[in-house]
Amino acid sequence: MRQFVIHRLLGAVPVLLGVVTLVFLVLRVLPGEPVAVLAAQGGGTAEDIARLRQEYGLDSPVWLQYLCFLLSLARGDLGRSLFTHQSISQIIVQQAPSTVVLACSALAVALGVGMPMGILAAMRPRSWIERVCMGLSLVGVSIPIPLSGLVMILIFSLTLHWLPASGRGTLSHLVMPSTVMGLVSAGSIARLVRAQLAEILREEYINVARAKGLTESALLVRHALRSALVPVITVVGLQFGFMLGGAVATETVFGRPGLGRTLAEAILYKDYPVVQGMVIVSAALYTVVNLVVDLAYGYLDPRIHHE
Amino acid sequence: MKWTRLLAVTALITAIVLAACRPVSGRDKLIYGLTLSPSSIDPHAGASSELGIPLTSVYDPLVWLAPDGQFVPGLAQRWEVSADGKTYTFHLRKDVRFHDDTPLNADAVCFNLQRIVNPATKSAKAIGLLGPFEGCQTVDEYTAQVLLKTPYAPFLSAVSQVYVAIASPTAVKRWGDEYQFHQVGTGPFMFQEYVPNDHLSLKRNANYRWAPAFFAHQGPAYLEQVEFRFFVDPATRAPALESGAVQVMGEIPPVDAARLEQDLKFAVLKVPVPGQPLQMYLNVVKPPLDDVRVRQALIYATDRQAIVDTVFMGYSPIAYGPLCRSTWGYDSSVERLYPFDLDKAQGLLEQAGWRDTDGNGVRDKDGQPLALETVLMSWGFVPEVGQMLQQQYLRVGVQLKTQLLAYPAALQVASEGKHHLIPFTFSGSDPGILRSAFHSANADGGFNWSKIRDPQLDAWLDQGRQSLDTEERTTIYGQIQRSIMEQALIIPIRDYVNLNGVSARVQGLRFDAQGWFPWLYDVRLD
Repeated sequence: MRQFVIHRLLGAVPVLLGVVTLVFLVLRVLPGEPVAVLAAQGGGTAEDIARLRQEYGLDSPVWLQYLCFLLSLARGDLGRSLFTHQSISQIIVQQAPSTVVLACSALAVALGVGMPMGILAAMRPRSWIERVCMGLSLVGVSIPIPLSGLVMILIFSLTLHWLPASGRGTLSHLVMPSTVMGLVSAGSIARLVRAQLAEILREEYINVARAKGLTESALLVRHALRSALVPVITVVGLQFGFMLGGAVATETVFGRPGLGRTLAEAILYKDYPVVQGMVIVSAALYTVVNLVVDLAYGYLDPRIHHE
Repeated sequence: MKWTRLLAVTALITAIVLAACRPVSGRDKLIYGLTLSPSSIDPHAGASSELGIPLTSVYDPLVWLAPDGQFVPGLAQRWEVSADGKTYTFHLRKDVRFHDDTPLNADAVCFNLQRIVNPATKSAKAIGLLGPFEGCQTVDEYTAQVLLKTPYAPFLSAVSQVYVAIASPTAVKRWGDEYQFHQVGTGPFMFQEYVPNDHLSLKRNANYRWAPAFFAHQGPAYLEQVEFRFFVDPATRAPALESGAVQVMGEIPPVDAARLEQDLKFAVLKVPVPGQPLQMYLNVVKPPLDDVRVRQALIYATDRQAIVDTVFMGYSPIAYGPLCRSTWGYDSSVERLYPFDLDKAQGLLEQAGWRDTDGNGVRDKDGQPLALETVLMSWGFVPEVGQMLQQQYLRVGVQLKTQLLAYPAALQVASEGKHHLIPFTFSGSDPGILRSAFHSANADGGFNWSKIRDPQLDAWLDQGRQSLDTEERTTIYGQIQRSIMEQALIIPIRDYVNLNGVSARVQGLRFDAQGWFPWLYDVRLD
């Protein structure tokens, strides 16, 4: 087991390196440079642009910049933002809590809404309940977050004055963003749970258990769900990873600070160190999340051995 | 189904509890909403106006630019300029202390000016403001002398801006690279904390006693605390004000401002921002815009009143030249040069040899259509303006091929000169800013996107920056503005007006000469 974990972590290193190199090159190949934006904010002259380029070390050849970058990476130094001059690690530490809190509560909503919907639909096949649940889940998956977010703000903030329109700090600030994000995932989870569960409920051993006198709920928990959940866990893991990195739309619409918004802005403004640093960190996080998911497999399904 | 009922009841109770727990602002704390662009908030390094909005209350300038346009003592109680214009001697007040209780003295002033020009600071704006700065020396404990390489008229204006902040050297040395999170000035409010993308908070300075006379009171500020929150998405700004989450909100979209003005609970403070208006540069080296008649035709064909009414709901005055009406040195003679005249535009295009020979609605010449590459960017309602220009120019047979680019990509296209039209705006209270925009030295790699190289214009621009004679400067800048418009280097669209939504509870809010920065010192909340 430990060998498996170490093997996986070591295997991630060349992947991370490849990802970072790709991002590094793509950023510098695409048109536009950050220095011009910096100088434009200050209304500068051609000399200002040249001076800033030199001060930031962006006038040296690309391969030299790459080597310097790898060297500082080896030292654990992710660099500083070209625009805000904050150290990347500090940016991540500052912005991560907001995104993590959002992703966790969105996941809670997704599971809390998606699982029951999927289970209910599977338990009552071909009924109106199933049709409603699957219809709602389709709606959840299809509506874009900017739309659902703004509609919720319109209703709950501007009309009813129940919830704040943006910002963070209290629980009430979290309600709408996590609901909006969670409902999208809830849709996928519901459909997957229903499909998996429906298949398992048709198996012979379920009939045997029923014939032995087991109640429906015990049947569900002790037999059916455990087998159904294996692929669901993969999807949940992926959804969580996606939420951590892809909270951009939610964070922008609800004015929440977070990693997604920081990354999106950094890409827009070509803030090289921020994009590079955050890509490394998210790639590393993704590796860890996938590893955890695989380990969870082993727990749930004793047939799976990790060599 | 028992579970669903339980769930519904829990949800209902939670909603009610949450609704009851909304934060309420008292009479001592003001919440101010801003937009945010990625920038360091170290005033010596960063360049965004959003950093200036809170920091104007944390720092005092050496010299204030008063509402009547005069320079008034600040940290310097008097100053002298040498006859050759290259030496400024500032005599500082002796009773000022920084928020960390260290004294303000000449060493502190020189320390700050030197920090601005230090390459390690990577200054994006302050260094440009200081112009031909050569050095600073302390004559005695409270007298600092600044040396310039050449005379420089905008110097006092530069020194009055928040970017040339006088910060505590002790704090700067202590915090180094992290200074932007622990700023220490001499102003009426103290810097408390800054969490990027989230909030910035200020606290009253109880020892503040050196406010200039043009403020309504003396002594410490009225507000106990000010908290700034960031609202990047324009659609969320007015809702935040209306829901009471903030009491002041800057840069409200015109549509929302119109609605707020109808509401008795709010007022809209319209603050003109001096400097360059929103304008489209015309690339004079790229045909067919190398023909001045074509450029002039475009300006005649622009119905700016329609643009101002439709996109800006009438909140902005029409711009007629390269400077906004509220800028010192604005010359009103440019207003007569290009009235909206479609016939004149058509006539000029015919004269230049452009006729619609194939009847498709777009003029052509030698087989080439009159199609202009127009770069648009996503700030300042530029896409909407671009759309209207496209419709308007089609009336005279000119086609605009627009593309919306992200900011860095657009700057790249502009610096390579691949554009015909590209928008730009830049604010500043001194007309010296025109040099970055129209001097030939900035045509390659700088922001002179009309790519004009006119020796006469260059000479005037250099002279205007160096002459310390106000009358001479006024004449020169008048000539510059007329020349720019006669050569049709830009299509001016509208003067910038910052629309601020303000709760009726807020009293005493004023903005400084730069138009962006609020003076919170006199502000009270009812």
